[in-house]
Amino acid sequence: MDQFLQALINGIMLGGFYGVMVLGFSVIWGVMGVINLAHGEFVMVGAYITWVLNKQFGWDPFWALIVVIPIMFVLGYVLQHILINRLVERPHLISLLVTFGLSIIIANIVKLVYTASPRVTDTALKGFWRVGGVTFPITKTYILLAALIIMVALYLFLQHTRMGKSIRAAAQNKEAARMVGIEIGKVYALTFGICIALTGAAGMLISPTQAIFPFMGPPLTLKAFAITAMSGLGSIPGALLGGIVLGLVEIFIGTYVPGVGTNLGVVSSFVLLVVVLVTRPQGLFGGLKPATEVQ
Amino acid sequence: MPGNGKQPLLECRGVSKYFGGLAAVNNVDFVVYPGEMVGLIGPNGSGKTTLFDCLSRVQQVSSGQIFFKGVDITKKKPYQIAHMGMARTFQVIRVYRKLTVLENMLLSRQWRGESLFKQLRPTHPRTEKRARELIDFLMLSHLTDELAGNLSGGQRRLLEIGMALMPDPDLILLDEATSGVNPTLIEQIKDRIRQLNQEQGKAFLLIEHNIHFIADLCSRVFVLNYGEKLAEGTPEEIINNEAVIEAYFGT
Amino acid sequence: MLRPLVNIWQRYRLGRWGLLLLVLFLFLLPLPQFIAPERKLVTNSLLFSFTQMFMLVTLASNWNLTGGFTGYVDFGHAVFFGLGAYGTGVLMNKLGWPFWPAMLIGAVLAAVFALLIGWATLRLKGPYFSIAMLGTFVAMREVIRVLKPITGGGEGLTLPPYLNRPLFYYLTLILAVLVVSLIAWIRRTEFGASLIAIREDEVGAEMRGINTTLHKITAFWIAAFLTGLVGGMWAYQNTFIDPDVVFFESRTVELVMMTMLGGLGTVAGPVIGAATIYWLRDVVWANFLQYHLIVQGLLLILIVLFMPEGILGTLGDRSATSLNRIVRKWFGLTRNGTEGV
Repeated sequence: MDQFLQALINGIMLGGFYGVMVLGFSVIWGVMGVINLAHGEFVMVGAYITWVLNKQFGWDPFWALIVVIPIMFVLGYVLQHILINRLVERPHLISLLVTFGLSIIIANIVKLVYTASPRVTDTALKGFWRVGGVTFPITKTYILLAALIIMVALYLFLQHTRMGKSIRAAAQNKEAARMVGIEIGKVYALTFGICIALTGAAGMLISPTQAIFPFMGPPLTLKAFAITAMSGLGSIPGALLGGIVLGLVEIFIGTYVPGVGTNLGVVSSFVLLVVVLVTRPQGLFGGLKPATEVQ
Repeated sequence: MPGNGKQPLLECRGVSKYFGGLAAVNNVDFVVYPGEMVGLIGPNGSGKTTLFDCLSRVQQVSSGQIFFKGVDITKKKPYQIAHMGMARTFQVIRVYRKLTVLENMLLSRQWRGESLFKQLRPTHPRTEKRARELIDFLMLSHLTDELAGNLSGGQRRLLEIGMALMPDPDLILLDEATSGVNPTLIEQIKDRIRQLNQEQGKAFLLIEHNIHFIADLCSRVFVLNYGEKLAEGTPEEIINNEAVIEAYFGT
Repeated sequence: MLRPLVNIWQRYRLGRWGLLLLVLFLFLLPLPQFIAPERKLVTNSLLFSFTQMFMLVTLASNWNLTGGFTGYVDFGHAVFFGLGAYGTGVLMNKLGWPFWPAMLIGAVLAAVFALLIGWATLRLKGPYFSIAMLGTFVAMREVIRVLKPITGGGEGLTLPPYLNRPLFYYLTLILAVLVVSLIAWIRRTEFGASLIAIREDEVGAEMRGINTTLHKITAFWIAAFLTGLVGGMWAYQNTFIDPDVVFFESRTVELVMMTMLGGLGTVAGPVIGAATIYWLRDVVWANFLQYHLIVQGLLLILIVLFMPEGILGTLGDRSATSLNRIVRKWFGLTRNGTEGV
C-alpha cells in the first residue's frame, strides 16, 4: 500500500512538472499552429542558464527564475520575428522540419560552448519530509508548487488581462480578431515570447532533479507532443491533467514492472499516445479533431 | 410502378447518423431500383451529403442498415463498395489536381477483385482506351493532357463524373453535379446522364438544388429536412407538396 | 545494331533518367580498379566515401516510397535502419551467424516491425504520423538500451571485424542500383499509381476502389525491409554498434532532408539529394568539424523554407511533389471536408 501511495505521490509530482513543461508547447501549437520540435532544447537552455547562475554566481536555482524568464522571453520574441513567423498558419510539416533543424542548431551550439558533459545544479532545498510511510522529496515539492503557481498565473493572465484575451481571441478566430483591432503579428510575437519564457522556467525546474546535457531535449519534446496531442491544444487544464496522467503512467511502470529503468519514460509516453490516438481519436478528454480520420 | 417488383439495388433501413448529440440523418428509409433515376433534395443542412457519406461508407452509420444488391454493406469499407459497383462524386470536387485529365481517369480504373500482385503491371491498354472513350463521351477530349487543376469548375465536375464512371458502376451517387456549372454545360450533363441511364441501365441518385434538373431527369424524388425524410414521390408531387415548400421557404 | 536496344528501352519507358543511371552505373562499376593500386584498395578511403553515399542513396529512395509517393512523411524511418543493424549485430555477435543470413534476418526483423507499427501509425494523419514515427525511433533506442542481455545495452556490440572496402563498395552500389530501379519500376505500375492517388487524395482514392490500408502497409514494409538491409551492411562495415551511434538523432531527419532537396516523389530526387548532401557534408566536415551539425540544421531550415519542391521540382519535373501539397491535402480536407448538408 505504501508503495502504491509513494508511486502516486511521485507520479503527481512528476505530472505537475510535466504540466508546466508542456504549457509553452501546447499554447504555441494551439494559438499559432506551429509544432515546436525545438521545445526540449528551450527547456535545456533554461536549465543551462540556471546552472551557470548556480555555478558562477552561487545562486540557488529557484532564484534563477528571475533571470531565466526575461532572457527566454526576449529570445522567444526575437526568434519569432526572424523565423517562426514564417511558419505560422502553414502546414504542420513545415514547422516540424524547421523547428527540428532549429533544435539541432541550438543543441549543438550549447555543446560547443559547454561540451557534452552532464552538469549538475545544487540547491539548498534538499532532503525529505516523511509522513507515515511516504516520502516527500523537498525539492520536488517546491518544484510542484512553483509549477502550480506558474500555471495559475498563466491561466489568470489569459482570462483576465487584455493581452491574454487577445491571445485567446486570435487562437479562436484570426479574422475576427483582426477586425476588432487586435494586431495579430504582435500577439504572435508576445505569445511565442511568453511560451518560451515558460519553457525556460520549466528548464529551471528540471535542473535540480537531474544532470543536464545538451541533448536532453528530444525526450521532453516528444512527451510534450504526446501530452498535447492527447489532451488538447492550448488547454491549460488539459496540459496539467495530461501531464499527471503521463507522470503516473511512467512512475507506475517504473515501480511495478521489474527490470525497467526510467528510460522507458519516453517509450511509455509514446505507447500511451499511439494507443490513445488510435482508440480515442478525439483525445483523452474529448473535443479534439480526430487524428486518424482523413475527414 | 418503381422497380416493377424487381429487387432493390440500394436499400436503406432506418439509417441514422449522429454527430455528438446532433442527428444529421435521422431514421431514413428509402429504396433505389436498378436503372432508376432518383433525386434527393432538401434545404441546406438537411443531411443529404451526410447520407451520401453513409451510403458510400465514408462515414460510419450510427444505426440502421444499408443493403446494396441485396448485400449488407453497413460495415464495409469504401473500396469494397466501389468494387461492388457503387460510385460517387463529392460536393467539393475531388480530382487529382496536379495530374492530367487522362491520368485522373486512369487512376480511377476498375480495381475489382484484384490482388496486389496483379497491380504490378503498367496500365493496361484496355484501360487507357476506356479512359479516352469516356473523356470523349464527356466532351473533354481537348483537355486530355491538361492538368486537372487548370480546368474550369464545370469541366472538373465532368471529370469527376468521368472518374466515377471508369469502373463501370451500376449505381452512381452524384452530389450536386450542377453546382458551379454554366447552363449549356448543364444541358449536356443532363443528356449524358440520360444516355447512361437509358443505354446502359445505370441507376443514379442525385443530390441537387436545381429543381428543373431533377424534374427533367428523375422519376422519383425524395426530400430530406433536418435529417428526416419529409416526402417522397414523383417530381410533380414533390413540387406541389406543401410541407416541402414550407421547408424550403420557411413560414 | 542499336535498334533492338533502343526498342527495349522505349518499351519499358526507361527514358533519359534510366540512361543516366545506366551510364553512372557503368562508370562506377570499375571504379575501384582505377582508384588505387591493388594493395591499397582494402582500406581505401575514397571507396569508403562512395560506400556511405550509396547507402544514403538507398535509404533516401526507400524513405521516398513512403514519404514521397504515398505522402506519409515518416520522421522515424531510421528505426528500421537500427533494427536491421541490431538484428545483424546480435545474430553475428551472440549467435555466431555469418553475415549474409544475419543481414537478411535483420531486414526481415525490420519489415515485421514495420507491419506491427504501421498497423497503428498509418491510421494517423499528417504530423501525428510523423511524430508517432519519431517517437518510435526514440523509443526503440531506449528499448534496445534496456534489453541489455540481448543487445549489449549501452555498451554496444562488436561484430566480427572484416575490412574489405571493395566488397562493401560493390554491395552497396548494387543495392543502390537495384533499389532505385525498383522504385522506378513501381512508379510505372498500377501499384505506384495507387500510392500516388493515396497521396493526392486518400478518401477519393478509397472511394474509387483502392484498398488504401493494404497499399500503405505494403509500401511501408517494403521500404522498411530495404532499409533494414542497409542497416545490416552498415553495422558489419562499422564493426561496432551501440544505441547512440545507430539511433543517432539526425539520421532520421537526414533522409527527409535529402529527399526534399532532390524532389519528393520523384525517382531521381533522392539520388540527387543524397549525393548532394553527402558531398556537402564531407566538405563541411573537412573544414568545419564542430559546426557540421549546426550547418546541417541550417541547411534543413533553408531547404524547407525556400526550396520545398526540391531541385527537380524547381526544374519543372511534374512528378515532384512538395510538403505543401502533401499537407494541403490534410488541410483542405479538414476545412472543406464533407460536412453534412
